[in-house]
Amino acid sequence: MIILEDVHKRYRTEHGMGRWVLNGISLNIPRKCNVGLIGANGAGKSTLLRLIGGIDQPSKGRVERRCRVSWPLGLAGGLQGSMSGRQNAKFVCRLHGHEADMAERLAFIKEFSELGDAFEEPIKRYSSGMGARLRFALSMAFDFEVYLVDELTSVGDAAFKKKAREAFERLADQAGLIMVSHDEKSLMQFCKAGILLRDGQAHWYHDIRDALSQYKQSIAA
Amino acid sequence: MTGTARSAPAVTLSVWKALFLREAVSRLAAGRAAWLWLLLEPVAHVAVLMLIFSFVRDRVVPGVSFALFLMVGVIGFNMFRNASSRSIDAITANAALFSYRQVKPVDTVLVRAALEGLIEFVVLVILCAGAILIGLDAVPHDPLGVWIALLLLTGFGAGLGLVFSVGADLVPEIGKIVKLAFTPLYFMSGVMFPPMLLPQYVREWFFLNPAAHGLEALRGAFFADYHVAPELDLGYLAAWALIAIFLGLALHVRYAQRLLAR
Repeated sequence: MIILEDVHKRYRTEHGMGRWVLNGISLNIPRKCNVGLIGANGAGKSTLLRLIGGIDQPSKGRVERRCRVSWPLGLAGGLQGSMSGRQNAKFVCRLHGHEADMAERLAFIKEFSELGDAFEEPIKRYSSGMGARLRFALSMAFDFEVYLVDELTSVGDAAFKKKAREAFERLADQAGLIMVSHDEKSLMQFCKAGILLRDGQAHWYHDIRDALSQYKQSIAA
Repeated sequence: MTGTARSAPAVTLSVWKALFLREAVSRLAAGRAAWLWLLLEPVAHVAVLMLIFSFVRDRVVPGVSFALFLMVGVIGFNMFRNASSRSIDAITANAALFSYRQVKPVDTVLVRAALEGLIEFVVLVILCAGAILIGLDAVPHDPLGVWIALLLLTGFGAGLGLVFSVGADLVPEIGKIVKLAFTPLYFMSGVMFPPMLLPQYVREWFFLNPAAHGLEALRGAFFADYHVAPELDLGYLAAWALIAIFLGLALHVRYAQRLLAR
Protein backbone atom coordinates (compact mmCIF):
# COMPACT_ATOMS: atom_id res chain seq x y z
CA MET A 1 0.00 0.00 0.00
CA ILE A 2 1.25 3.45 -0.90
CA ILE A 3 -0.54 6.30 0.79
CA LEU A 4 -0.47 9.88 -0.44
CA GLU A 5 -2.09 12.45 1.81
CA ASP A 6 -2.81 15.92 0.51
CA VAL A 7 0.44 16.02 -1.44
CA HIS A 8 1.48 19.40 -2.81
CA LYS A 9 4.60 20.05 -4.82
CA ARG A 10 6.15 23.08 -6.38
CA TYR A 11 9.72 23.71 -7.43
CA ARG A 12 12.05 26.54 -6.65
CA THR A 13 12.94 28.41 -9.81
CA GLU A 14 15.28 31.27 -10.63
CA HIS A 15 12.38 33.64 -9.99
CA GLY A 16 11.26 32.38 -6.61
CA MET A 17 8.71 29.64 -6.11
CA GLY A 18 7.13 28.15 -9.21
CA ARG A 19 3.51 27.17 -9.75
CA TRP A 20 1.97 24.26 -7.91
CA VAL A 21 2.71 21.21 -10.05
CA LEU A 22 0.73 18.94 -7.74
CA ASN A 23 -2.04 20.58 -5.81
CA GLY A 24 -3.48 18.45 -3.06
CA ILE A 25 -3.33 14.83 -4.15
CA SER A 26 -4.71 12.12 -1.89
CA LEU A 27 -4.48 8.55 -3.11
CA ASN A 28 -4.26 5.04 -1.78
CA ILE A 29 -2.49 2.78 -4.23
CA PRO A 30 -2.84 -0.92 -3.36
CA ARG A 31 0.29 -3.04 -3.39
CA LYS A 32 -0.74 -5.49 -6.07
CA CYS A 33 -2.09 -3.14 -8.62
CA ASN A 34 -0.80 -2.05 -11.99
CA VAL A 35 -1.44 1.63 -12.46
CA GLY A 36 -0.74 3.83 -15.45
CA LEU A 37 0.03 7.49 -14.79
CA ILE A 38 -1.17 9.64 -17.66
CA GLY A 39 -1.37 13.32 -18.38
CA ALA A 40 -0.03 15.98 -20.69
CA ASN A 41 3.61 17.00 -20.73
CA GLY A 42 4.38 18.93 -17.57
CA ALA A 43 1.28 17.66 -15.77
CA GLY A 44 3.51 16.30 -13.01
CA LYS A 45 3.69 12.59 -13.86
CA SER A 46 7.42 12.25 -13.28
CA THR A 47 7.20 14.51 -10.25
CA LEU A 48 4.54 12.29 -8.72
CA LEU A 49 6.59 9.19 -9.49
CA ARG A 50 9.66 10.74 -7.84
CA LEU A 51 7.61 11.59 -4.76
CA ILE A 52 6.25 8.04 -4.57
CA GLY A 53 9.80 6.75 -4.99
CA GLY A 54 10.95 8.96 -2.13
CA ILE A 55 13.76 10.62 -4.05
CA ASP A 56 12.06 13.97 -3.73
CA GLN A 57 9.98 15.35 -0.91
CA PRO A 58 6.54 16.95 -1.19
CA SER A 59 6.35 20.66 -0.37
CA LYS A 60 3.29 19.89 1.74
CA GLY A 61 1.54 16.66 2.64
CA ARG A 62 2.80 13.15 3.25
CA VAL A 63 3.84 10.07 1.30
CA GLU A 64 3.93 6.74 3.08
CA ARG A 65 5.26 3.50 1.61
CA ARG A 66 4.11 0.33 3.33
CA CYS A 67 5.91 -2.02 0.99
CA ARG A 68 9.20 -2.35 -0.84
CA VAL A 69 9.17 0.22 -3.61
CA SER A 70 11.82 0.30 -6.32
CA TRP A 71 13.72 3.37 -7.46
CA PRO A 72 12.16 4.91 -10.60
CA LEU A 73 13.36 2.66 -13.39
CA GLY A 74 14.28 4.22 -16.68
CA LEU A 75 15.73 7.35 -15.11
CA ALA A 76 19.37 8.13 -15.80
CA GLY A 77 21.73 8.54 -12.88
CA GLY A 78 22.57 6.33 -9.98
CA LEU A 79 25.68 4.93 -11.63
CA GLN A 80 29.24 6.22 -11.41
CA GLY A 81 31.16 6.47 -14.65
CA SER A 82 34.64 5.79 -13.33
CA MET A 83 33.58 2.49 -11.76
CA SER A 84 33.03 -0.81 -13.44
CA GLY A 85 29.62 -2.34 -14.01
CA ARG A 86 30.39 -4.84 -11.27
CA GLN A 87 31.39 -2.16 -8.76
CA ASN A 88 28.22 -0.21 -9.49
CA ALA A 89 26.13 -3.35 -9.17
CA LYS A 90 27.79 -4.20 -5.85
CA PHE A 91 26.95 -0.76 -4.57
CA VAL A 92 23.27 -1.15 -5.44
CA CYS A 93 23.20 -4.65 -3.88
CA ARG A 94 24.67 -3.35 -0.62
CA LEU A 95 22.29 -0.42 -0.61
CA HIS A 96 19.34 -2.77 -0.75
CA GLY A 97 20.66 -5.01 1.98
CA HIS A 98 21.70 -7.91 -0.21
CA GLU A 99 25.11 -8.37 1.32
CA ALA A 100 24.72 -12.10 1.92
CA ASP A 101 23.51 -13.20 -1.50
CA MET A 102 25.47 -10.61 -3.45
CA ALA A 103 27.36 -13.19 -5.54
CA GLU A 104 24.12 -14.64 -6.92
CA ARG A 105 22.69 -11.22 -7.75
CA LEU A 106 25.92 -10.13 -9.43
CA ALA A 107 25.93 -13.31 -11.50
CA PHE A 108 22.33 -12.64 -12.50
CA ILE A 109 23.06 -9.03 -13.45
CA LYS A 110 26.11 -10.01 -15.48
CA GLU A 111 24.19 -12.71 -17.29
CA PHE A 112 21.01 -10.78 -17.88
CA SER A 113 22.76 -7.65 -19.12
CA GLU A 114 24.84 -9.81 -21.52
CA LEU A 115 27.77 -7.48 -20.90
CA GLY A 116 30.35 -10.26 -20.67
CA ASP A 117 33.84 -8.92 -20.03
CA ALA A 118 32.59 -5.35 -20.30
CA PHE A 119 31.00 -5.92 -16.88
CA GLU A 120 34.49 -5.33 -15.43
CA GLU A 121 35.10 -2.15 -17.45
CA PRO A 122 34.37 1.39 -16.23
CA ILE A 123 30.86 2.21 -17.37
CA LYS A 124 31.94 5.51 -18.90
CA ARG A 125 33.32 3.38 -21.74
CA TYR A 126 29.91 1.75 -22.29
CA SER A 127 27.80 2.57 -25.29
CA SER A 128 24.37 3.95 -24.47
CA GLY A 129 22.83 0.55 -25.24
CA MET A 130 25.20 -1.21 -22.86
CA GLY A 131 24.43 1.29 -20.12
CA ALA A 132 20.70 0.80 -20.62
CA ARG A 133 21.13 -2.98 -20.48
CA LEU A 134 23.02 -2.73 -17.20
CA ARG A 135 20.34 -0.48 -15.75
CA PHE A 136 17.61 -2.83 -16.82
CA ALA A 137 19.41 -5.88 -15.44
CA LEU A 138 19.96 -4.05 -12.15
CA SER A 139 16.29 -3.32 -11.77
CA MET A 140 15.38 -6.94 -12.47
CA ALA A 141 17.80 -8.21 -9.81
CA PHE A 142 15.76 -7.23 -6.77
CA ASP A 143 12.35 -8.34 -5.57
CA PHE A 144 10.38 -5.20 -5.07
CA GLU A 145 6.69 -5.29 -4.35
CA VAL A 146 5.98 -2.21 -6.38
CA TYR A 147 8.02 -1.10 -9.38
CA LEU A 148 8.09 2.50 -10.50
CA VAL A 149 8.67 2.87 -14.21
CA ASP A 150 9.26 6.13 -16.02
CA GLU A 151 8.87 5.83 -19.79
CA LEU A 152 10.38 2.39 -20.22
CA THR A 153 11.96 2.95 -23.58
CA SER A 154 13.15 0.09 -25.68
CA VAL A 155 16.46 -1.24 -24.48
CA GLY A 156 19.31 -2.59 -26.58
CA ASP A 157 19.09 -4.53 -29.82
CA ALA A 158 16.14 -6.59 -31.08
CA ALA A 159 17.09 -9.78 -29.23
CA PHE A 160 17.57 -8.00 -25.94
CA LYS A 161 14.38 -6.02 -26.44
CA LYS A 162 12.42 -9.26 -26.67
CA LYS A 163 14.04 -10.64 -23.53
CA ALA A 164 13.49 -7.38 -21.65
CA ARG A 165 9.86 -7.33 -22.65
CA GLU A 166 9.31 -10.89 -21.46
CA ALA A 167 11.03 -10.21 -18.15
CA PHE A 168 8.93 -7.12 -17.73
CA GLU A 169 5.71 -9.02 -18.45
CA ARG A 170 6.59 -11.62 -15.82
CA LEU A 171 7.30 -8.84 -13.38
CA ALA A 172 4.02 -7.08 -14.13
CA ASP A 173 2.23 -10.33 -13.29
CA GLN A 174 3.91 -10.80 -9.94
CA ALA A 175 4.39 -7.31 -8.53
CA GLY A 176 2.66 -3.98 -8.50
CA LEU A 177 3.54 -1.47 -11.14
CA ILE A 178 3.23 2.29 -11.35
CA MET A 179 4.04 3.37 -14.84
CA VAL A 180 4.46 6.68 -16.60
CA SER A 181 4.07 6.41 -20.34
CA HIS A 182 2.75 8.12 -23.41
CA ASP A 183 2.52 4.83 -25.24
CA GLU A 184 -1.11 3.74 -25.20
CA LYS A 185 -0.30 0.19 -26.24
CA SER A 186 2.02 -0.60 -23.37
CA LEU A 187 -0.29 1.15 -20.91
CA MET A 188 -3.16 -1.08 -22.05
CA GLN A 189 -0.96 -4.14 -21.90
CA PHE A 190 0.52 -3.68 -18.46
CA CYS A 191 -1.94 -1.57 -16.48
CA LYS A 192 -5.38 -2.20 -15.05
CA ALA A 193 -6.11 1.04 -13.30
CA GLY A 194 -5.21 4.54 -14.32
CA ILE A 195 -4.44 7.86 -12.72
CA LEU A 196 -5.08 10.94 -14.81
CA LEU A 197 -3.16 14.04 -13.78
CA ARG A 198 -4.69 17.36 -14.74
CA ASP A 199 -4.29 20.84 -13.26
CA GLY A 200 -2.39 19.48 -10.28
CA GLN A 201 -5.19 17.08 -9.40
CA ALA A 202 -5.23 13.30 -9.68
CA HIS A 203 -8.24 11.32 -10.85
CA TRP A 204 -8.38 7.59 -10.23
CA TYR A 205 -9.97 5.25 -12.74
CA HIS A 206 -10.48 1.55 -12.06
CA ASP A 207 -10.08 0.89 -15.75
CA ILE A 208 -7.14 2.31 -17.67
CA ARG A 209 -9.34 2.57 -20.77
CA ASP A 210 -11.63 5.06 -19.02
CA ALA A 211 -8.62 7.09 -17.99
CA LEU A 212 -7.27 7.10 -21.52
CA SER A 213 -10.57 8.12 -23.08
CA GLN A 214 -11.01 10.85 -20.46
CA TYR A 215 -7.49 12.04 -21.27
CA LYS A 216 -8.19 12.12 -25.00
CA GLN A 217 -11.39 14.06 -24.43
CA SER A 218 -9.54 16.58 -22.33
CA ILE A 219 -7.03 17.22 -25.09
CA ALA A 220 -9.73 17.44 -27.72
CA ALA A 221 -11.72 19.92 -25.66
CA MET B 1 2.79 -6.26 4.56
CA THR B 2 5.07 -9.18 4.01
CA GLY B 3 7.60 -8.21 6.64
CA THR B 4 10.27 -7.52 4.10
CA ALA B 5 10.74 -3.90 5.12
CA ARG B 6 14.03 -3.27 6.90
CA SER B 7 14.33 -1.15 10.02
CA ALA B 8 15.62 2.39 9.61
CA PRO B 9 18.98 1.78 11.37
CA ALA B 10 19.56 -1.32 9.24
CA VAL B 11 18.98 0.70 6.06
CA THR B 12 21.30 3.48 7.26
CA LEU B 13 24.04 1.01 8.17
CA SER B 14 23.92 -0.69 4.80
CA VAL B 15 23.95 2.72 3.10
CA TRP B 16 27.02 3.78 5.09
CA LYS B 17 28.81 0.57 4.30
CA ALA B 18 28.00 0.76 0.59
CA LEU B 19 28.97 4.44 0.38
CA PHE B 20 32.14 3.91 2.38
CA LEU B 21 33.39 1.13 0.13
CA ARG B 22 32.43 3.09 -2.95
CA GLU B 23 34.20 6.24 -1.78
CA ALA B 24 37.24 4.24 -0.73
CA VAL B 25 37.49 2.61 -4.14
CA SER B 26 37.18 5.89 -6.00
CA ARG B 27 39.68 7.58 -3.66
CA LEU B 28 42.30 4.83 -3.61
CA ALA B 29 41.95 3.13 -6.98
CA ALA B 30 41.08 6.03 -9.26
CA GLY B 31 43.85 7.00 -11.63
CA ARG B 32 47.41 5.77 -11.57
CA ALA B 33 48.53 4.75 -8.08
CA ALA B 34 46.26 7.22 -6.29
CA TRP B 35 47.11 5.55 -2.99
CA LEU B 36 50.82 6.25 -3.53
CA TRP B 37 50.15 9.97 -3.80
CA LEU B 38 48.39 9.91 -0.47
CA LEU B 39 51.74 8.84 1.05
CA LEU B 40 53.98 10.97 -1.13
CA GLU B 41 52.07 14.19 -0.61
CA PRO B 42 52.87 14.64 3.10
CA VAL B 43 56.43 13.37 2.56
CA ALA B 44 57.03 15.91 -0.20
CA HIS B 45 55.40 18.57 1.92
CA VAL B 46 57.71 17.83 4.84
CA ALA B 47 60.74 17.64 2.54
CA VAL B 48 60.08 21.09 1.11
CA LEU B 49 59.57 22.59 4.55
CA MET B 50 62.78 20.92 5.77
CA LEU B 51 64.67 22.39 2.85
CA ILE B 52 63.40 25.88 3.62
CA PHE B 53 64.01 25.62 7.33
CA SER B 54 67.49 24.16 6.94
CA PHE B 55 68.53 27.59 5.64
CA VAL B 56 66.93 29.35 8.54
CA ARG B 57 68.09 27.31 11.51
CA ASP B 58 68.86 23.71 12.15
CA ARG B 59 66.91 23.01 15.32
CA VAL B 60 63.68 24.75 16.16
CA VAL B 61 62.30 22.31 18.67
CA PRO B 62 64.62 21.11 21.41
CA GLY B 63 64.55 17.38 22.03
CA VAL B 64 62.45 16.56 18.99
CA SER B 65 63.48 15.61 15.47
CA PHE B 66 62.35 18.50 13.31
CA ALA B 67 61.35 16.22 10.44
CA LEU B 68 59.03 14.25 12.73
CA PHE B 69 57.71 17.45 14.26
CA LEU B 70 56.70 18.65 10.80
CA MET B 71 55.35 15.26 9.75
CA VAL B 72 53.02 14.97 12.71
CA GLY B 73 51.87 18.56 12.25
CA VAL B 74 51.24 18.18 8.53
CA ILE B 75 49.25 14.96 8.94
CA GLY B 76 47.28 16.32 11.88
CA PHE B 77 46.36 19.38 9.86
CA ASN B 78 45.57 17.30 6.76
CA MET B 79 43.23 15.19 8.84
CA PHE B 80 41.30 18.25 9.90
CA ARG B 81 41.41 19.90 6.48
CA ASN B 82 40.54 16.86 4.36
CA ALA B 83 37.75 15.76 6.68
CA SER B 84 36.06 19.10 6.17
CA SER B 85 37.04 20.19 2.67
CA ARG B 86 36.24 16.84 1.03
CA SER B 87 32.97 16.44 2.85
CA ILE B 88 31.86 19.91 1.77
CA ASP B 89 31.78 18.58 -1.80
CA ALA B 90 30.13 15.29 -0.84
CA ILE B 91 26.57 16.32 -1.68
CA THR B 92 27.37 17.71 -5.14
CA ALA B 93 29.67 14.81 -5.97
CA ASN B 94 27.09 12.20 -5.02
CA ALA B 95 23.98 13.92 -6.38
CA ALA B 96 23.44 11.05 -8.83
CA LEU B 97 23.04 8.61 -5.95
CA PHE B 98 20.04 10.38 -4.52
CA SER B 99 17.95 8.53 -7.08
CA TYR B 100 18.12 5.74 -4.51
CA ARG B 101 15.92 7.05 -1.74
CA GLN B 102 17.96 5.17 0.88
CA VAL B 103 20.85 7.61 0.36
CA LYS B 104 20.45 10.91 2.19
CA PRO B 105 22.79 13.90 1.76
CA VAL B 106 23.96 13.65 5.35
CA ASP B 107 25.12 10.05 4.75
CA THR B 108 27.50 11.11 1.99
CA VAL B 109 29.02 13.85 4.18
CA LEU B 110 29.52 11.64 7.23
CA VAL B 111 30.99 8.81 5.20
CA ARG B 112 33.48 11.09 3.46
CA ALA B 113 34.66 12.62 6.73
CA ALA B 114 35.11 9.18 8.28
CA LEU B 115 36.98 7.90 5.24
CA GLU B 116 39.37 10.89 5.24
CA GLY B 117 40.05 10.42 8.94
CA LEU B 118 40.81 6.75 8.43
CA ILE B 119 43.03 7.37 5.40
CA GLU B 120 45.13 10.00 7.17
CA PHE B 121 45.44 7.69 10.17
CA VAL B 122 46.77 4.88 7.97
CA VAL B 123 49.13 7.35 6.29
CA LEU B 124 50.44 8.41 9.70
CA VAL B 125 51.03 4.79 10.75
CA ILE B 126 52.85 3.97 7.52
CA LEU B 127 55.03 7.09 7.66
CA CYS B 128 55.89 6.42 11.31
CA ALA B 129 56.92 2.90 10.37
CA GLY B 130 59.05 4.33 7.57
CA ALA B 131 60.64 6.85 9.95
CA ILE B 132 61.48 4.06 12.40
CA LEU B 133 63.12 2.12 9.59
CA ILE B 134 65.46 5.02 8.81
CA GLY B 135 66.37 5.31 12.48
CA LEU B 136 64.14 8.09 13.77
CA ASP B 137 62.37 7.68 17.10
CA ALA B 138 58.83 7.74 15.72
CA VAL B 139 57.08 5.66 18.36
CA PRO B 140 54.34 7.80 19.93
CA HIS B 141 55.01 8.53 23.59
CA ASP B 142 51.30 8.47 24.50
CA PRO B 143 49.33 6.56 21.80
CA LEU B 144 45.96 7.14 23.44
CA GLY B 145 46.61 10.89 23.56
CA VAL B 146 47.54 10.84 19.87
CA TRP B 147 44.36 8.96 19.13
CA ILE B 148 42.18 11.41 21.04
CA ALA B 149 43.80 14.45 19.40
CA LEU B 150 43.35 12.94 15.92
CA LEU B 151 39.77 11.95 16.66
CA LEU B 152 38.91 15.46 17.84
CA LEU B 153 40.61 17.04 14.81
CA THR B 154 38.63 14.76 12.48
CA GLY B 155 35.45 15.36 14.47
CA PHE B 156 35.90 19.12 14.23
CA GLY B 157 36.60 18.78 10.50
CA ALA B 158 33.52 16.60 10.07
CA GLY B 159 31.42 19.14 11.96
CA LEU B 160 32.62 21.97 9.70
CA GLY B 161 31.98 19.68 6.72
CA LEU B 162 28.39 19.08 7.88
CA VAL B 163 27.74 22.79 8.38
CA PHE B 164 29.35 24.01 5.18
CA SER B 165 28.06 21.19 2.97
CA VAL B 166 24.60 22.58 3.59
CA GLY B 167 25.91 26.11 3.17
CA ALA B 168 27.69 25.31 -0.09
CA ASP B 169 24.63 23.59 -1.50
CA LEU B 170 22.37 26.55 -0.75
CA VAL B 171 24.95 29.24 -1.65
CA PRO B 172 27.75 27.75 -3.82
CA GLU B 173 30.12 30.66 -3.07
CA ILE B 174 30.33 29.57 0.57
CA GLY B 175 32.18 26.40 -0.43
CA LYS B 176 34.81 28.37 -2.32
CA ILE B 177 35.34 30.87 0.48
CA VAL B 178 35.67 28.13 3.10
CA LYS B 179 38.29 26.31 1.03
CA LEU B 180 40.24 29.56 0.57
CA ALA B 181 40.19 30.02 4.32
CA PHE B 182 42.16 26.81 4.84
CA THR B 183 45.40 28.38 3.57
CA PRO B 184 45.62 31.10 6.24
CA LEU B 185 44.37 28.53 8.75
CA TYR B 186 47.37 26.37 7.85
CA PHE B 187 49.76 29.10 8.93
CA MET B 188 47.67 30.01 11.95
CA SER B 189 47.52 26.46 13.28
CA GLY B 190 51.24 26.16 13.91
CA VAL B 191 52.00 23.34 11.51
CA MET B 192 55.54 24.65 11.00
CA PHE B 193 56.50 26.00 14.40
CA PRO B 194 55.88 25.26 18.07
CA PRO B 195 53.53 27.86 19.59
CA MET B 196 55.95 28.26 22.51
CA LEU B 197 58.11 30.33 20.15
CA LEU B 198 55.39 32.97 20.08
CA PRO B 199 55.26 35.68 22.74
CA GLN B 200 52.54 35.18 25.28
CA TYR B 201 50.20 37.95 24.08
CA VAL B 202 50.26 36.48 20.54
CA ARG B 203 49.65 32.98 21.89
CA GLU B 204 46.41 34.12 23.49
CA TRP B 205 45.14 34.99 20.03
CA PHE B 206 46.77 31.98 18.45
CA PHE B 207 44.87 29.58 20.69
CA LEU B 208 41.48 30.98 19.75
CA ASN B 209 41.85 28.66 16.77
CA PRO B 210 40.45 25.24 17.80
CA ALA B 211 42.66 23.39 15.31
CA ALA B 212 45.79 24.81 17.01
CA HIS B 213 44.77 23.05 20.23
CA GLY B 214 44.44 19.77 18.34
CA LEU B 215 47.88 20.03 16.75
CA GLU B 216 49.55 21.09 19.99
CA ALA B 217 47.92 18.22 21.91
CA LEU B 218 48.88 15.82 19.14
CA ARG B 219 52.54 16.77 19.37
CA GLY B 220 52.48 16.80 23.15
CA ALA B 221 51.21 13.23 23.10
CA PHE B 222 53.54 12.10 20.35
CA PHE B 223 56.86 13.45 21.68
CA ALA B 224 57.95 12.77 25.24
CA ASP B 225 60.24 15.80 25.40
CA TYR B 226 57.95 18.32 23.72
CA HIS B 227 56.87 21.23 25.87
CA VAL B 228 53.27 22.12 25.19
CA ALA B 229 52.04 25.67 25.60
CA PRO B 230 50.21 26.31 28.90
CA GLU B 231 47.18 27.59 26.96
CA LEU B 232 46.51 24.13 25.52
CA ASP B 233 42.95 23.01 26.30
CA LEU B 234 41.57 19.97 24.49
CA GLY B 235 38.15 20.66 25.99
CA TYR B 236 38.04 23.83 23.90
CA LEU B 237 38.53 21.82 20.69
CA ALA B 238 36.05 19.17 21.86
CA ALA B 239 33.43 21.84 22.54
CA TRP B 240 33.93 23.33 19.08
CA ALA B 241 33.73 19.89 17.50
CA LEU B 242 30.49 19.05 19.32
CA ILE B 243 28.92 22.42 18.52
CA ALA B 244 29.87 22.12 14.84
CA ILE B 245 28.54 18.56 14.60
CA PHE B 246 25.25 19.41 16.26
CA LEU B 247 24.81 22.59 14.24
CA GLY B 248 25.64 20.67 11.07
CA LEU B 249 23.19 17.86 11.82
CA ALA B 250 20.51 20.41 12.70
CA LEU B 251 21.09 22.18 9.37
CA HIS B 252 20.85 18.86 7.55
CA VAL B 253 17.51 18.15 9.24
CA ARG B 254 16.24 21.66 8.62
CA TYR B 255 17.21 21.69 4.94
CA ALA B 256 16.70 17.97 4.21
CA GLN B 257 14.07 18.81 1.61
CA ARG B 258 16.00 21.52 -0.18
CA LEU B 259 19.15 19.44 -0.37
CA LEU B 260 17.28 16.70 -2.20
CA ALA B 261 15.08 18.90 -4.39
CA ARG B 262 16.67 19.41 -7.77
